[in-house]
Amino acid sequence: MAITHRARSGDAVGGSKHQRESLWTDAWRRLVRNRAAVIGMSIIVILVLTAILAPQIAPQGFADQAREDHDKVPEWATQLFPTMAGYARISDKYLLGADYAGRDLFSRMVYGTRISLAVAFVGPLISLLIGVTYGSISGFLGGQVDELMMRFVDVMYAFPGLLLIILLMFFFRSTFSNAEPGTLGYALNAMDARFGGMLFIFIGIGFTAWDGMARLTRAQVLSVREKEFIEAARTVGASDVRIMFRHILPNIVGPLVVTETLSIPGYISTEAFLSFIGLGVNPPTPSWGSMISDGAQALRSYPNQAIFPALALAITMFAFNFLGDGLRDAFDPRLRGTQ
Amino acid sequence: MTHKTWMAVSLLVIVSLILAACQPQTIEKPVVQTVVVTAPPQVKTETKEVVVTATPKPADKVKVLRLNAGEGDIPTIDPALAVDVASVQIIDETTVGFVRQNETTGNIEKAMATSWNISPDGLVYTFHLRTDVPWVKYDAKTKQVVKIKDGDGKDRTVTAKDFEYGILRTLDKKTASEYAYVLTDVISNAAQFNSGEITDTAKVGVKAIDDATLRITFNEPVAYNLNIAGLWVAHAQPSWLIEEKKDRWTETGNQQSYGPFTLKEWIHDSSLTLVKNPFWPADIPNIPQSKIDEVTFAMLAATPAFSEFEAGNLDVAGIPLSDVDRVKADPKLSKQVENVPTMGTEFYTFNVKKAPLDDVRVRRALSYAIDRKSVIDNIVKGQGEPARWFCRPGVAACPTPDKYPNLGIKYDPAKAKSELDAYLKEKNLTADKLDLTLTYNTTEGNKKIAEAIVAMWKEVLGLNAKMTNMEWKTYLAQWTSDPNMQIMRGTWVQDYQDANNFDKVFSTGGAYADITRWSDPKYDEMCAKAAKEQDPARRIELYSQADQYLVVDQAVIAPLYWYSGLVIYQPYVKHTQSITGYDWFEKWDLAN
Amino acid sequence: MGNPPVKVNPMGRYIIRRFLWMLLVLLVVSVVTFLMEHALPGGPFDREKKVSPEIMANLNARYRLDQPLWKQYFQYVSDIMLPHITTAPPSGSVMDDTLITIQAGNLYFRWMNFGPSYKSKSRSVNDMFREQLPVSMQLGVMALLVAIVIGLPMGILAALKQNTLWDYVGMSVAILGVSVPVIVLGPLMVWILGVTLKWLPPTGWGAKPPFLLGLFPHSLTWDYWKYAIMPSFALGVGSSAIIARLTRASLLQVIREDYIRTARAKGLAERVVIVRHALKNSLIPVVTVLGPMFAALVTGTFVTELIFGIPGLGKYFVTSISNRDYTVIMGTVLLYAVFLVISNLVVDILYAYLDPRIQYK
Repeated sequence: MAITHRARSGDAVGGSKHQRESLWTDAWRRLVRNRAAVIGMSIIVILVLTAILAPQIAPQGFADQAREDHDKVPEWATQLFPTMAGYARISDKYLLGADYAGRDLFSRMVYGTRISLAVAFVGPLISLLIGVTYGSISGFLGGQVDELMMRFVDVMYAFPGLLLIILLMFFFRSTFSNAEPGTLGYALNAMDARFGGMLFIFIGIGFTAWDGMARLTRAQVLSVREKEFIEAARTVGASDVRIMFRHILPNIVGPLVVTETLSIPGYISTEAFLSFIGLGVNPPTPSWGSMISDGAQALRSYPNQAIFPALALAITMFAFNFLGDGLRDAFDPRLRGTQ
Repeated sequence: MTHKTWMAVSLLVIVSLILAACQPQTIEKPVVQTVVVTAPPQVKTETKEVVVTATPKPADKVKVLRLNAGEGDIPTIDPALAVDVASVQIIDETTVGFVRQNETTGNIEKAMATSWNISPDGLVYTFHLRTDVPWVKYDAKTKQVVKIKDGDGKDRTVTAKDFEYGILRTLDKKTASEYAYVLTDVISNAAQFNSGEITDTAKVGVKAIDDATLRITFNEPVAYNLNIAGLWVAHAQPSWLIEEKKDRWTETGNQQSYGPFTLKEWIHDSSLTLVKNPFWPADIPNIPQSKIDEVTFAMLAATPAFSEFEAGNLDVAGIPLSDVDRVKADPKLSKQVENVPTMGTEFYTFNVKKAPLDDVRVRRALSYAIDRKSVIDNIVKGQGEPARWFCRPGVAACPTPDKYPNLGIKYDPAKAKSELDAYLKEKNLTADKLDLTLTYNTTEGNKKIAEAIVAMWKEVLGLNAKMTNMEWKTYLAQWTSDPNMQIMRGTWVQDYQDANNFDKVFSTGGAYADITRWSDPKYDEMCAKAAKEQDPARRIELYSQADQYLVVDQAVIAPLYWYSGLVIYQPYVKHTQSITGYDWFEKWDLAN
Repeated sequence: MGNPPVKVNPMGRYIIRRFLWMLLVLLVVSVVTFLMEHALPGGPFDREKKVSPEIMANLNARYRLDQPLWKQYFQYVSDIMLPHITTAPPSGSVMDDTLITIQAGNLYFRWMNFGPSYKSKSRSVNDMFREQLPVSMQLGVMALLVAIVIGLPMGILAALKQNTLWDYVGMSVAILGVSVPVIVLGPLMVWILGVTLKWLPPTGWGAKPPFLLGLFPHSLTWDYWKYAIMPSFALGVGSSAIIARLTRASLLQVIREDYIRTARAKGLAERVVIVRHALKNSLIPVVTVLGPMFAALVTGTFVTELIFGIPGLGKYFVTSISNRDYTVIMGTVLLYAVFLVISNLVVDILYAYLDPRIQYK
């Protein structure tokens, strides 16, 4: 029953430290029992390892070109895509084929893991950090403060996200690339170059993503705030902060995490889109997004160039989604006993 | 009885067949309509759209040529305001200048001018015009092209005054025409009028002596004056219409023109359709009446356009780079492909004031190290010819590779290395320590070429050149303002067909002067001398010397390739082979 | 206690207040956009062929770009906000064209001029709204319908049959839908359905301006639908996945709520429990994203319009920035902002309906 649960993990009796550990280890235990989530987690671990060990795994460097080998495909690809059989040139040097400049697709995909994972992790991180904090404060406090904060979010929200990113990217790239050494702009530009052009993308994505999360958080907080167990906690004398962290947040974490994992493909396609119009990673740094954009141009003639990175993307999406589902289920106190 | 009926029926059938066959295919009875042009303008009312699924009469089939103008709406079809190729192509079909360039030979031919006299000092040109070309427009209600009448009910024909109006309007500062500069450069007092220094149009070197005579006074007696006089910015424009409709005079239902085609419909961002002008005189040999009834321009990017071509919905299309291999290997499609040159050059230009490019040996080394053929074969998939110099062969007065086999720069890794080594030894440096950056504006094509060439510089010279790219407008703002830019991707497409339009680009004050930061009086003199030379053969020789100086002696640029594109045609399209980059569709036909 | 309180509907007051806030939001958005766009290097008339200073001066004069920035901004805002009544009929100039022109006798009421386009010389931004916006709206609405019709039932089914085959298959299909970007799905559909099977036209749109009531196509025959099917689907599939996933997650959570247990315990039929009690509350997170989703879909998507050659407004979001076409940038941003603010307002009102515990003070 609801009251009993709350009393267990509530703060009425002492020994709260013991209870807090129990909540998280409890969640972990439930997570690992979810088979799909475990598969998801393993895939992500494999991807992270791939990203770290890229130079060892990839047969070639990501910028090594052999211009005469452009667009070559391995033999089995012409069986998988029979339309290519008439004109494709065969070479078994390339596991998945070569791109338009004769670079190995597989090697580029391996290195591309780094960029795509970075986007997949940093994007939601920034969005959740800023957005959840902002939205939960706003929703919890309510009243005039809530109104004011939400109006600010409205203004942020009213900017077409893509347009804002494009404007920001143009802005960063043009003003900071000319900065004098020693200024903040110069430092930012140098850091960005070291990351292969990603820093500005992260800033841009973070800047435009948090408002949605803030809104969603606030809505969830509003809806949970009025629930009976919150009132129960209040009558027992729990402080606001305690209520927020112990009662409200764990209950809303579910849809938030699920929403955020759903945004990951959005971040990756934003990155792909930016690469498409030339504001993304600097060539020849590969990212799955830019590989998919490049490959989409050749979709009719050399489907392998787009399909394989897209497959990698899809698998990553599966992994994040199953993991996200598992996390939601793990954190939902009322699912206890149903797993 | 049955036998008789059968005889009667078959007789009827035969007779009707004969009658049908005897009817001329397309009769366009000129419908005389009174188009009251001076009436007070109508308020924009919502016209009820009647969805007409036009079923063409079985006897005469409407021949429609379906083309693609490229992605994005056509910016304008106003002769005074056009700057891009698609706009100019359409304007050149709806209006015609004094002279017109033959698309297969490149020669200048008479068009609206039947003849002209040039004064002994080479400055004053007097054009004598045809008087039988009417102004027309397409009437959507009757679905016919009709003649325009003036307030007195008489047909309006194109007069010298219309040309004078057109040129002055282009030059007028209120029009803010971007391409006025081709006229302000050459016509007397045009620059002063355009900047507002003088306001009296009578002082400008354009005068309509009478309805059929126009006199133009030029600044210098150069060979390409005639060329410029025929450009779209100097075509006749309808003053009465522009004064009434202002900026919208080129929209559907308003536009009036006089060329072999006129505007039928322009759905912005979607399509633009031209319809044949039946009142175009039939006796101009190089501009015949069109056999095709309509020409439609779609506005698609390269890949969707090619999909439409393969689906049978387009008659001509460009081939996206990634599909070239497939098309070339296809037995049917490969026969329909042609390599069509366009008058332009792709090159990398150097900032000669920034080290290490301030030393000519470094520049020459970079240029010698580029295997242009490999770039074209592998990256651009054959859409281009390796460029040995800047001026594009096919343009008047430009040297051609068959006549000048040893001119210009070629791929020579040994020479490249020796040039660079000489520099490195003197400065006591190593190749990998040289700081070089190549900058280009972001397109797929530029990226691929840059990657290939940077790799070549590494292979041949051991250089670690970096690459940056930026968006087009940012690039345009940066390359003149940023003194640290080193190697920059450049492009030049002709404004008019003359070597002067190319080589002058790098002279002091030329279009690329602020980018190369190079100014050499010797080169300026070579260009000026070649511009004034009247003997065509000698002109070519002079321009070849200028190019050699530019590309090899001083290595201010590294030319990459001369533009040409792979174009695919449906088998029933009977077309002419253009070498100028423009097509005259009135000479085409559809055989289906 | 004095006079009885005036009965003003609190919801009505709320809407009016939000409306006033919307105007403020638009103001802020317009200022920020204006500043950012002018901070971008380069201008609308830059070409690789150097434009001489005299010609540049002519261009700046014609388009009023030579005036100080604040003056340009005020001119722009007053052109949009202030209506005027004149006896002069609309001339063909693109500089004083207005979105709303009403004629009464020989008086004209003219309002909302978003300015001329710098790139397309014979058009104003108002023309783009009149001619291109309806196309994007038609496409957006259809894509949203696709998303809801596919996504909602899929999500509900997956939630009700959690951890069964239905659930796994449904969600896998959903994830696939999200992770195959339009840039791959679009050309794939064009290749198969358009070029090879020739069932549908590869590019184009089935309606052209002028539109019925300014928004709708004149005829809804197959000639119209055949152009709309592929792009709506390509565009809507990604969103349907988002809706499916969200619905499932949210419904799963709501089902565990106590009041659902109570309803079941009361002996109500399962269907009644789900539809009457669970669904309404579970739709809150879904409705939250519908707002911005609708705004984004309707104001067009660059890639879809590029691939399918659709004359919508989405292209202009990107091309206007690369062209430095200031008026078009402002116009598209403001349009998007209006859509979004209105969508959010509708969403917030729906919140109150869906969850009576949410009150607006």
